[in-house]
Amino acid sequence: MAGSDDDDDYMNMVFEEAPKQETALQRRMRIEREGRERGRIKSKAERDAEAEAAREAGLAKELDSSNKGFKMMAKFGFKKGDTLGKSENARKVPIHLDIKEDKGGIGLDSEKKRKFREHMEKAEQEAKRSKVEEGDYRDRVRQEREEKKAEKEFYNAQRTVERLHEQSLEHGKFTEQDVSKGHSPKSAMSVPLKEVNVVWRGLIRHRLEKQRNQKQQRDLKDSLTARLPTLTDDEEDEDDKLALGREAEVQLLDPEDEEDSELEEFDALSFSDRLEKIVLYLRETYHYCFWCKHQYVDATLDGCPGITEEDHD
Amino acid sequence: MATRREHEDDENPRAKRVKMESNGHTDNPYLAHWNDEPKSDRPSNSGDLLYKFKRHGTTSKQAHDAEDGPLNPFTGKALSQKYMGILKTRRDLPVHKQRHEFLELYQKSQILVFVGETGSGKTTQIPQFVCFDDLPHLNNKMVACTQPRRVAAMSVAQRVAEEMDVSLGEEVGYSIRFEDRTSPSTMLKYMTDGMLLREAMHDNNLTRYSTIILDEAHERTLATDILMALLKEVVQRRKDLKLIIMSATLDATKFQKYFHDAPLLAVPGRTHPVEIFYTPAPERDYVEAALRTVLQIHATEGEGDILLFLTGEEEIEDACRKIRIEASDLMQEGAAGPLEVYPLYGTLPPAQQQKIFSSAPAPLKQGGRPGRKCIISTNIAETSLTIDGIVYVVDPGFSKQKVYNPRIRVESLLVSPISKASAQQRAGRAGRTRPGKCFRLYTEAAFKKELIEQTYPEILRSNLASTVLELKKLGIDDLVHFDLMDPPAPETLMRALEELNYLACLDDEGDLTPLGKLASEFPLDPALAVMLISSPEFYCSNEMLSLTALLSVPQIFVRPAKDRKRADEMKDLFAHPDGDHLTMLNVYHAFKSEAAQDNPKQWTHDHFLSYRALQQADNVRLQLKRIMEREEIELMSTPFENKKYYENIRRALVAGFFMQVAKRDGNGKSYITVKDDQSVLLHPSNVLGQDSEWVVYNEFVLTNKNYIRTVTSVKPEWLLDIAPNYYDLDTFKKGEIKNALQRTLNKVIRKEADKGKR
Repeated sequence: MAGSDDDDDYMNMVFEEAPKQETALQRRMRIEREGRERGRIKSKAERDAEAEAAREAGLAKELDSSNKGFKMMAKFGFKKGDTLGKSENARKVPIHLDIKEDKGGIGLDSEKKRKFREHMEKAEQEAKRSKVEEGDYRDRVRQEREEKKAEKEFYNAQRTVERLHEQSLEHGKFTEQDVSKGHSPKSAMSVPLKEVNVVWRGLIRHRLEKQRNQKQQRDLKDSLTARLPTLTDDEEDEDDKLALGREAEVQLLDPEDEEDSELEEFDALSFSDRLEKIVLYLRETYHYCFWCKHQYVDATLDGCPGITEEDHD
Repeated sequence: MATRREHEDDENPRAKRVKMESNGHTDNPYLAHWNDEPKSDRPSNSGDLLYKFKRHGTTSKQAHDAEDGPLNPFTGKALSQKYMGILKTRRDLPVHKQRHEFLELYQKSQILVFVGETGSGKTTQIPQFVCFDDLPHLNNKMVACTQPRRVAAMSVAQRVAEEMDVSLGEEVGYSIRFEDRTSPSTMLKYMTDGMLLREAMHDNNLTRYSTIILDEAHERTLATDILMALLKEVVQRRKDLKLIIMSATLDATKFQKYFHDAPLLAVPGRTHPVEIFYTPAPERDYVEAALRTVLQIHATEGEGDILLFLTGEEEIEDACRKIRIEASDLMQEGAAGPLEVYPLYGTLPPAQQQKIFSSAPAPLKQGGRPGRKCIISTNIAETSLTIDGIVYVVDPGFSKQKVYNPRIRVESLLVSPISKASAQQRAGRAGRTRPGKCFRLYTEAAFKKELIEQTYPEILRSNLASTVLELKKLGIDDLVHFDLMDPPAPETLMRALEELNYLACLDDEGDLTPLGKLASEFPLDPALAVMLISSPEFYCSNEMLSLTALLSVPQIFVRPAKDRKRADEMKDLFAHPDGDHLTMLNVYHAFKSEAAQDNPKQWTHDHFLSYRALQQADNVRLQLKRIMEREEIELMSTPFENKKYYENIRRALVAGFFMQVAKRDGNGKSYITVKDDQSVLLHPSNVLGQDSEWVVYNEFVLTNKNYIRTVTSVKPEWLLDIAPNYYDLDTFKKGEIKNALQRTLNKVIRKEADKGKR
């Protein structure tokens, strides 16, 4: 037999069918499985769906010639497809059952279908359009990213201005403005706010506000007797102050600094525009290129590739 | 012109025609009053007053004079003052103007189609017109006028008896299922169409009648449709029988065509134009939209009552409650006058139904905003009831309609869109007293596209088992070619024949069996009749008689919305763990006990039961008992102490309802109906203990769920034993039910074998 192995066509070999008889084990497992299936309590939704499916299946199944009534009718010449009576337009099939499940008014269902269809059509169109708009979106994202970057750079530039200003004071150099206005050089913190150039005035103002708030908080905490320079009435004694609750009042800024239309105007600009202005200010006032991070000797800024960041790439 | 002076209420054109017709006749009817002058000569005994009348040759003039009295032309008694008062209003009715034309056509033709809109007076007047010309009392015949509803038959008979100045049940009577108020002297009989059909079963040619009037034929009830087909044949055999088909809708050409182009007479109703409004978009919730519309009308429209159509009791009661609250708010804000809200539906007690006729409330103060009433009704206010004062109609476009599908054998009431004809009828209700408005809560496009032209006649929406049995009894064998106006789908007939065959009422050839003949004697569903007839085999015919009566009347349990819990507690007092049928029987027995009969009204009220329904059941039981005695069906009971008392009743139930059985699906809540394989739930009202594998049910109800209602637990052995033909396992398809029945069968065979060995 071993020699004939080569001749056997394994691909076309016919196997005897496995014995149909299920083993005791298989039988037990099948019964268990069926029992589980039967025992499982169906959910409400499952039940409803099943009931509806059974109903629709039942409604779709025509009574046929196996029905006993059919045979009785056949005796009088009735054939499949015939109608009853003598009328020409007699019914062929029973009236369909339509079960109304909600309180929707007449026409609502077809309206819903129409809306759904419209919605689908709209969604399709939207999908087409969004492909077109994709380019715009990318632009917008890029702009946003650039604006964020410009914001960071702008604050950096403001701090640079301050640093250069302090340096210039130490070195006894006067700024152009100071000279022109005949002011003696002073720290930015001590000059009136409005005399600080608008490009970095925001920084100083912000710091002043912060300091003042802190001071007021501190004063409040320190003691009730602490006198607020701007608000105390000399004639009031401490009891009066306590009674009037004056200490609770918080002044954010000196009244004269409240209004600053110049700063407001400047702040309304985008960060990239503000950055551009401050960069120019640095170049003009301090001969400093923000992008080279270098203070040049004179106004020509010899060696700097240009005024924009791209120039420095 | 001398005659005109004497009869001022005669209309000129008709008077002329009468004159022309009677020219040359010696007995000129115009001069009849001269001939009749010597009144003292008249014999005073009944009937003879019309002795001179030539049958089918009288004129309206003659009748007119006879009606004027002073003696009642039918009884010979002096006419009352009340009669004279009614006579005056009767002569104002639209039909009265055409009395002459009617008589002409009636005399000329065997069949006549008469169209008169609601309020024309056709139901009360036409039968009287006929009596004066047909003279049924002189020929030992009767005039029959059928009505689709029992209540209508009763109330119209009452009214006509008054109009004719006779006592109800004498010359004018009525006959409805389980109640007959007629006597040998009855000549005009109002009856339900179903009753006339039953009479035809014993008297195939309806020989007792000389004229048959089928009223409200436009409603196309099952019985009216069958009667039309039947009478179409009878008039061929009986040339002396006259037939009048009366309809309230103008589309009567269908009737004309069906009756071989019978002449048609139309009487206009008293209607005013009705302006119709549609909504701009479909409504999300028609009930809510309806309430909003009613309140808006109340707050902004001029005087006039409102009629709102909704679908059923629960919906109507709920709407009444909500409108009352909102309307009283409106009134307190001064935005509207007082509003009285009345519900109207079939199961409402008559006293409460009567309330809809009370007049609208007066304004809060003189000159204040007018009060009005709002009636919220099912479609019974569509044609059958006439309510004056309605100016505004709100129509959401739905009604509850019976549907039957032979494929899954379900007969149920479903909320369905109405037809265009129905919508027109509803709108017409607004124009009864003056020009009105109808607010349709759907778009004009939906009206045109979504509504069918005519409501499907009942014959297309009914189980025909009962009808087929009646027709077989009537001797109509070839049901396939029976000339119905709208033949149902063949499958409907097929199913009906099959059911009757399983009930052994028809043999395999489709011929009536002795059991079928007997069953047809009972005005019951074949299953109930068979159950009753076979009940002596189970030694409980007394009990089955009570149960059959209980199943033939409206719901005996009352469950008011505000007192559900108490009502359920009371029901539990009667509950039998084996099922609702047994529970109903317990109720009936308790109702008949001395304790309850002392003051049955109070007792039923205390126990949340319907006194009306139980009383009606009592009456039905008596009628059925008479039939059983007549047919010599033995009345017996198993002693109550016997432990088989309830089991016998349950077995007897199977004898009739073996085709309405369901088996529990696994261990779950749902059941599967036998053979139709429909997944159903027990109706929440059931009192059954949880472990009932098999149940018989009285009804398969479709709502948003499939329910079986009124269920009782049975044993599968009984099914195999009592209905072996239906439970022939070879006819079952593979599945859980077949397996279960097979197991039962094996068990039974084993038991039998064991018995044999012993």
